[in-house]
Amino acid sequence: MATCLNSRFPVLLAALTLALTAPAFAQTNPGAEKDDTAVAEQVEALKKKVIRLNRDLFILEEDLLFPANTQVAVFLSVDAGKFLKLDAVKLKVDDEIVASHLYTERQAKALERGGMQRLYVGNLKTGVHQMTAFVEGIGPDQRPYKQAASLEFEKSTGTAALEIRVEDRSSDYQPSVSIVEWE
Amino acid sequence: MGLTVFKPFRAGPVLFTGALLWLTMIAPAQADEPQPERAEDLRYGWVLYEYHQGNAFEALTQLAVAREQGGIDGHGDHPALVEGGLMLSWGMTREASRLFTELLGADGAGSTLSTDVRNQAWFYLGKVFYLEGDHDLASENLERVDGDILAEANHDLFREWIYLRARLAMMSSRFGDESDLASLRAKLEDTDIWSLYLRYNSAVSALAAGDAVTAEAELQALIAIIEQSTDSAEPEAEREGLLGRARLSLARLYLRDNQFDAALGVLGDMPLNGVFADQALFDYAVAAAGQGRPERALHALDTLSNRDLFLPWRQQVPFARAYVLEQMNRPQQALPAFKQAADHYQARIEELNNIRNRLSEENLMAQLDFSRDSDGILTDSYGRLRVQPVDFGMAEVLASETFQQALAELNELYRMQSFVAERQSRFESFRVMLETREQQRQVRIAQTRRALENQQADQWQQLHQEFSEKISEALTEEDAGFFMTSKQKALRDKLDKVEETLAGLPDDATTASQRATYQRMRAYFDWWIADDYGVNRWAAQKQLRELNREMDRFQAQRQRVETLMADDARHAELARRIAASERELATLGEEIADALGNARQALLSQVDSMLVAQQEELNGYLLASRHAQARLADQLFRASQNAGAGDE
Repeated sequence: MATCLNSRFPVLLAALTLALTAPAFAQTNPGAEKDDTAVAEQVEALKKKVIRLNRDLFILEEDLLFPANTQVAVFLSVDAGKFLKLDAVKLKVDDEIVASHLYTERQAKALERGGMQRLYVGNLKTGVHQMTAFVEGIGPDQRPYKQAASLEFEKSTGTAALEIRVEDRSSDYQPSVSIVEWE
Repeated sequence: MGLTVFKPFRAGPVLFTGALLWLTMIAPAQADEPQPERAEDLRYGWVLYEYHQGNAFEALTQLAVAREQGGIDGHGDHPALVEGGLMLSWGMTREASRLFTELLGADGAGSTLSTDVRNQAWFYLGKVFYLEGDHDLASENLERVDGDILAEANHDLFREWIYLRARLAMMSSRFGDESDLASLRAKLEDTDIWSLYLRYNSAVSALAAGDAVTAEAELQALIAIIEQSTDSAEPEAEREGLLGRARLSLARLYLRDNQFDAALGVLGDMPLNGVFADQALFDYAVAAAGQGRPERALHALDTLSNRDLFLPWRQQVPFARAYVLEQMNRPQQALPAFKQAADHYQARIEELNNIRNRLSEENLMAQLDFSRDSDGILTDSYGRLRVQPVDFGMAEVLASETFQQALAELNELYRMQSFVAERQSRFESFRVMLETREQQRQVRIAQTRRALENQQADQWQQLHQEFSEKISEALTEEDAGFFMTSKQKALRDKLDKVEETLAGLPDDATTASQRATYQRMRAYFDWWIADDYGVNRWAAQKQLRELNREMDRFQAQRQRVETLMADDARHAELARRIAASERELATLGEEIADALGNARQALLSQVDSMLVAQQEELNGYLLASRHAQARLADQLFRASQNAGAGDE
């Protein structure tokens, strides 16, 4: 061995160098690769199950807490967001504050790109109710901006869905806030 | 042999995420179906809100909820496309593939999505399979892309598409792939970074096939192209890195063939502050030793010795240094250098033994530094964790795709486990909700019972019965008086009173006249009653029929309320769903625990294999160092003996 190392050292050294550039662990045996695939498939199958179960639990929770005949859901959308950088929203139903939210940059961007946030879900008796939304942010010319919108609506025996819309109004370069009822 | 295939994807996958989002969200504007300005379905809007925040799990859950509750209206195929994108980014590649194939079809026929969107969906799917090492599926999906349309829509993706197909052709042994490969390479400019990667990987393939001449030519060409095309004032890090790698590889080819001058020439061009500076320095030492200039070799090795010897490839340095000293005919210095090398290898082997004996997930994780934000560990768009090794000995294992995948899977499994734990904690509140709901129902039942009692329903029922019987009796007896109207009854009462008054008056002429008048009136009244009997009877029967209907309705309503009060089917159904979900969650928890065990084992096995390989290398050097020590000690002893004999 010693003789061998002595006589062929430069070649051996180079060969060792070359061999070491290919990490030993990269030489995966087929069995190990198969096991990896099996774990990956197992994880994917579990993810499917987790989504299905989360769906069932979500629906179950809604059925328990917010039955369809009393449920009211309020969504928030931001169309364009050119004239308003959304900071916060407060929601009042029948003179009681039921929801408030401060927006991170990521959430505000998600809204501007077409997402809709479910701001509030609760229960209301059938009859007429008053809803008011207060929207705060940075408006045109980088000035603090605050605007409110109200809607009187009748809650029937079905699920009620309302949307707070923050839109750009090109006529006066101002944002506008409105509440609309979804059929 | 020694070169490894270069994978140029590790640097910037985040960019690909951006592209993927663009693919699914913006591109539909070019589709046949007009892009809605705003979500036309609230649930879809909610999905997009989660999607744009990168919350794949939440978005996928909302899509599943929407599907369960009747689907999403007004957005055509886009929700499915978004779902496919979400699955890709959440590591559900097989499901994503199935969904895209179902959605887009092999030729895209029947889909409302534009060719551009379909192209990009196939591209990303193919790329994910390529990264996962599934070359058949990668080829299948990449072949579906229409190159002309992709080139026009997104030239960067087109270039990458060419690269991926060329790589797949290189790895394939099919007949005709050589010409395919040549035509693919011809589509890229020589200076294109993708073309440069292809050239490098072509050299690797040639070397693997034993064609060192082609490999050398490819590497020389690659170095020349980069040198000519690089702006020296503003060099690109990516090209610089590739240039360094190409030079190192070429130098090693020369070393392999004992062309030490050529190797020194290539290595001499490498910058001392480059990524590959240390490896170049070592190769320089080998070349210098081979060239018969051990002083230079020793100088290079001394420089390397002063650096941290953590990286596995640097373990050669102590032995090499001692060997060069021996070659320089300095046995007095070489002997302690070999001893030092042997001690170093012995210590390192023991250290690795300790690490292997203590190897656990906890120890392993302690060696890794994960990048985190407020939402947890950061990942790239393919679900790989952003992680750096604390111990650089881990760097190589960490760089392997299988280790990265295993690590990402382990992380996903832990996230699923915490999901299960969090959901399990909710079942208690679900039961409380159900109980509260039942209590409220009982309260409402009690209120309803009181209201029903206040309605005195039984009394009304009795009156109705009595009234029916009376009418029936009057009909049988044809009792016209019974069916008289109120006006007729009032008139009858008046006539009765007149008759009574007349009966009390004396019998004189006036009274006689009055009695005659009364008789005429009574006769007329009787005739009127008889005449109206049919009408009055019909009116009474009509009223009775209406009353019967109302009473029936009242009874039915009451029956329904009674049924509702007695029926607890909804409660039972909710209770059943809670119990079923709880069972399912428990089963899922067990399955996740099993998968965690497997993933943990796979991860630790990979690290252990790496440590074993390192130990084997070190054992080789240890043995060689000890043999050299023995040989030198013997040589020195003999020399001293000879010198002693000479003195005598």
